[in-house]
Amino acid sequence: MSYEVNRRLAARRPAMTTSTTVDPVTAHIVHGAFETICFEVATHLGRAASSAIINQSNERNASIIDAHGRLAGISVGIPQLLFISPLAVRWGLENQEADDWGPGDVFVGNDPDFGGGHLPDYTVYAPVFDDKGDLVLIQALQAHQGDTGGKDPGGFSVDSTDIFSEGMGIPVLKLLHRGTPRRDAIAMLVRNNRFPSFAGDIAAMISAVQAGAASLQALLDSYGVETIKAAVNHNIDQTAQRFRACVSDWPDGEYPAEVWIDQDTAGNPDIHVKVNCIVDGDQLTVDMSGSDSRPELVNVWNTFSNTRGYAMAQLASMVDPDINKNEGLFYAVDMVIPEGSILQPPDNKPAALGAFHPAVEVGEAICIALSCILPQRSVPQVYKLGMPNAVIGFDDNGEMWMDQGVDVRASDGSAAQGLDGWGAMCAGLGNLILATAEDAESRFPVLNHSREMTTDTGGAGRWRGQPGTCNVKQVLEPVSAMTWMVSRKHPLRGLNGGDDASPYSNHFLVGTAQEFEVENALNAQLPAGAITRYQYGGGAGFENPLRRDPVAVKEDVLDEYVSVQAAHDRYGVVLTGSVENFDIEIDSAKTQALRERRLRDNA
Amino acid sequence: MGYRIGIDIGGTFTDFALMHNETLVLHKNLSTPEDRSLGVLQGIERLAELEGLSLRDMLSRVDAITHGTTVADNTLIEMNGAITGLLTTEGFRDELELRRGYKEDIWDVRLGPPTAIVPRRRRLGVPERVLFDGTVHSPLDEDAARRAIARLAKQGVESVAICTLFSFTNPAHELRLAQLVKEQMPDVYLSLSHQVLPKSPEFERVSTTAVNGYVGPRVSQYIDRLVERLTNAGYQKQLLLMQSNGGVMTRDYLRGSPVRVLASGPAGGVIGSAAFGQAKNACELLCVDMGGTSYDVSVIRGGQAPAQSGWNWHHRHLVAVPMVQVETLGAGGGSLCTAEHGTLHVGPESAGADPGPVCYGRGGTHPTVTDAILVLGLLSEEAEFAGGSFQLTREGVDEALRQHVAGPMGYSVEDAAFDCWRVVNANMTQAVRRLTAEKGSNPKDLTLLAYGGNGPVFAAIQAQELGIDRVLVPRTSPGFSATGALAAQPSIDEERSYIVPGMEADIDRLRQLWLELAEHAERHLVKAGFQRDAIHCRYQLNLRYPGQNWSLTVDAAETLGSGDLSFVTDTLPAQMIQRFHQLHEVQYGHARDGEAPEITGVRLLAATNIPRPTFSGGLTAEQKSAVPGRQRRANLGEGFQDVPIYYGPDLQPGHCIPGPAIIEEAFATIVVYPGWTTYLDDARDYELRRIPNRD
Repeated sequence: MSYEVNRRLAARRPAMTTSTTVDPVTAHIVHGAFETICFEVATHLGRAASSAIINQSNERNASIIDAHGRLAGISVGIPQLLFISPLAVRWGLENQEADDWGPGDVFVGNDPDFGGGHLPDYTVYAPVFDDKGDLVLIQALQAHQGDTGGKDPGGFSVDSTDIFSEGMGIPVLKLLHRGTPRRDAIAMLVRNNRFPSFAGDIAAMISAVQAGAASLQALLDSYGVETIKAAVNHNIDQTAQRFRACVSDWPDGEYPAEVWIDQDTAGNPDIHVKVNCIVDGDQLTVDMSGSDSRPELVNVWNTFSNTRGYAMAQLASMVDPDINKNEGLFYAVDMVIPEGSILQPPDNKPAALGAFHPAVEVGEAICIALSCILPQRSVPQVYKLGMPNAVIGFDDNGEMWMDQGVDVRASDGSAAQGLDGWGAMCAGLGNLILATAEDAESRFPVLNHSREMTTDTGGAGRWRGQPGTCNVKQVLEPVSAMTWMVSRKHPLRGLNGGDDASPYSNHFLVGTAQEFEVENALNAQLPAGAITRYQYGGGAGFENPLRRDPVAVKEDVLDEYVSVQAAHDRYGVVLTGSVENFDIEIDSAKTQALRERRLRDNA
Repeated sequence: MGYRIGIDIGGTFTDFALMHNETLVLHKNLSTPEDRSLGVLQGIERLAELEGLSLRDMLSRVDAITHGTTVADNTLIEMNGAITGLLTTEGFRDELELRRGYKEDIWDVRLGPPTAIVPRRRRLGVPERVLFDGTVHSPLDEDAARRAIARLAKQGVESVAICTLFSFTNPAHELRLAQLVKEQMPDVYLSLSHQVLPKSPEFERVSTTAVNGYVGPRVSQYIDRLVERLTNAGYQKQLLLMQSNGGVMTRDYLRGSPVRVLASGPAGGVIGSAAFGQAKNACELLCVDMGGTSYDVSVIRGGQAPAQSGWNWHHRHLVAVPMVQVETLGAGGGSLCTAEHGTLHVGPESAGADPGPVCYGRGGTHPTVTDAILVLGLLSEEAEFAGGSFQLTREGVDEALRQHVAGPMGYSVEDAAFDCWRVVNANMTQAVRRLTAEKGSNPKDLTLLAYGGNGPVFAAIQAQELGIDRVLVPRTSPGFSATGALAAQPSIDEERSYIVPGMEADIDRLRQLWLELAEHAERHLVKAGFQRDAIHCRYQLNLRYPGQNWSLTVDAAETLGSGDLSFVTDTLPAQMIQRFHQLHEVQYGHARDGEAPEITGVRLLAATNIPRPTFSGGLTAEQKSAVPGRQRRANLGEGFQDVPIYYGPDLQPGHCIPGPAIIEEAFATIVVYPGWTTYLDDARDYELRRIPNRD
């Protein structure tokens, strides 16, 4: 039963055994070396991989794990995913004797019921041993694969009923034995993937972790094994202490929040995620009890490993960003993740789409819960789109191509106290590099018509959410298209009195008599020339818009982030002149009167 | 042969290198930030004095002045560029703001946006569309264009950037837009994306074009003023300007894309390093330049400092022109040392030149790296500092270290100083490894070349941490960037996009694209006075496996003279693909024989030779030991002990000095760590070697 496995994998692990102590400066230097090695490993893969999701979207995350399975170091990547690798590796660790671990071995795992995130997230890892043959560290590298050999190309199925329809699960598989590739195993993996480029991707992942393991070996040689172990212990303890120090500054109390997802892919409505953040001295407990557990739900099952990772990514964004990211974070926080809920599903549930929703809602709920005590750092680290519009076709040679639709866009850029939402997405996704029109159109038969931000789609607030873009795109050949819409009914929520973000919408066959709005999951054939129009939700506002500096509102109107109408209706700012003539001015007297009246009415 | 002058303008000092036949004269004077061309003239005047000439006489005998300028960088740092507008394809005006999603810190939700160089109100879309193959999908709506231009005019726009989709395959719409702008705004500064950066993708191109529009007027104005001052003073030849790719080019060439002078300051040092390394038989180099506030690292492979175009973030803006890759870290002599939460941080904040480190005695109270290495005895109160301009003082240093480091960490001041030394070392080591990782290099295979005021203090110990056994320190280390500017060749490095499966490449199209590049380069180089048949052309092809996002650049042919494209034959693609597989194996540990690589573009590096400083190498002088001037208590990583101190100018070729030792030069201190030996080579440059197997 996976709950038992989850409990075992997530259990706190003891420090490395060593009689050596280390000074803080050496420990800090070792931390830096770990970060650098992870950066080297991630860069190696980003340069050599063929899948856009790895080499453009940068969905590749390197981490270093100690012999006890504790996260010892990470690098740039996607915060949520950086926290996931340890559990997949811990499953391998449990079996190290049975699987005959030794120097030069490389393993892979991806199984959600054995510590994995979702099937596309392959974790490839290489153990590093000391002179005596004892395991010291593991170089891990996780990356999102373009396909998993399931019933639908790409690894996401809007109608999967179990994990097996999504593709091949691998609890652990040895790819190299003592440095020699296992041809049979690798050939089997390659065969179970639709994209011919996968062979190159897996080769790149293997060569990347080998390079990382070699760097770790050199580090052990240069500092000594005991010093490295002591440094890992020190750094993890220090992170736990610093996180606790932050928590102890927060007022004691219970901070609950609940968020909803419009529906699952079968149309079951109002999926909910519930958290209660309990602050007691320096102890933070995140209790997710009461989250949805309806057995009939389809596709909205977030694996246990993901739930932990997404919760921690949000929490890490709400404390001092200088705190090292390692196992110490998990030492400092207790999480209660109800078994059988959508946040810790029963065995064999489909897992692919759950990594979108309810995964991000875990972070969103934590953000909302703590926004009243941490107003400056309450920015939800989320992507509220259900799924981009992915299109699949075949070229003249019968080879499949896929445009995953991770195009340049703006979405969910929320404000916090003192800072408007900005850029394309939240900070945590700042390494996710979005696809360009010129590159996509040179590869695929698609045409991008426009993708500007839409005026007034950012939630109004004293600090304003960034507007969302409207991406209009055409396919030039017949394709099959897949998508899933949420956040139409339950958009990103405004905080501390700010307005909600605008809802998402997605129209197909735009400009034809058959035009329709996608209301839920969709798997459709589109004719050549079909146009889609995807309005991404903006970011949410923070605090009452009637308190926004009128000069900032005027500037927003000149930049067409905000309309004259919304300036009046939402911000209570009365403007004269026109945007067309650039002669907008604030009517201070009328503005003051309007705002006072609104504030009175609100009260 | 006439004189040649290399000039490097830094934040505090302007450095000059005067080359005449085999000799090299260095000079430094204070920079003049209000009008930097003044400081340049003052320095040249001083050089003339040193040569016993009047300024006019001197300038009439100068063959070339090569110059690295920071004016573009300063414009971006101070954000005081031109009021810039953008005309772009309708529906795509927000690319600049969305940055393909990039944010600098994934953990810090408090990081705000960069100041917009073109705010949204001045980014206007115009209906038009060109497809990937250059065909026009929708014609340019000229009425709409005129309305957009009128809106820019109404906002007082001084500079207009034009960037439409796929303009690099068909520039007709950009050219027409430029005409329309000129009709309505005749005095405006224009930047056309197909001229500034004729390649995909759109974000990289629009950002580079917008930055060009923003810095262009100031750069042009500065260069024009400098040329005018030089001409009035009697200079008759071309002014050559350092570009970010490490080459120099003329004002005429840079008029089209002044953005190419961004980041050109450190590039001079890198190019000088390549030339220096070649003379010393070290073609695989790790170059480190540590000054007062920053630490610049770069890598030279095969004697070259390859410039990389594309994902270059500079002052928070993307500038995709080829740039010599220099990693800059906030670690210099002035970097502040602070203990916080049981961790010791060094930098990136700096005490700067004013008040500077505590030991400058100018009112600084926060300990810096310079203070720490003074306590360690690597620097001394007795020696002259910065060429004798002042002496360091220990007064207040111990107290500052106690308060900010030793106290919080709970140990002695000397321990604190030692830890500051360790941390700054570690920070520099990490920066080196990040850069080499991005380049796919292993630092162990490199020779370390150190320059700048503080580089040689740390060079050997850093080399040791990186597994490097050989270190070079030029005698001219403190003024090395100006020397480097003299070593830079006139060069033009441009690319054109062409995305096609490798085996399906249209040979005529490849030839045509290279021909365009060759003619363009030739036109500018010949106009600058260089011989047509002396232009060295390196034709290259960018390739990748299908789906990869990063291309590798493969050499196709090298020719002398630019017109010979006879190498472009039907068999070329197959050869290129073969070379690409091999290069991929070297870079990424595997090749994919089953996959057919695609071409992503052509590239041409056109350069011509000019007289450069001749560095020489060799260790032929008879080896002999030197006599130290005195001894001093110092900690060179193995605890305090008495260490011999040598006076640099007294040393001769052949002298060999075993570590631990310290050598004091006028502007630099060279630390010979235990396990290392320094040799003075025949050119009186320093070479440090590590005794093998000593750990």
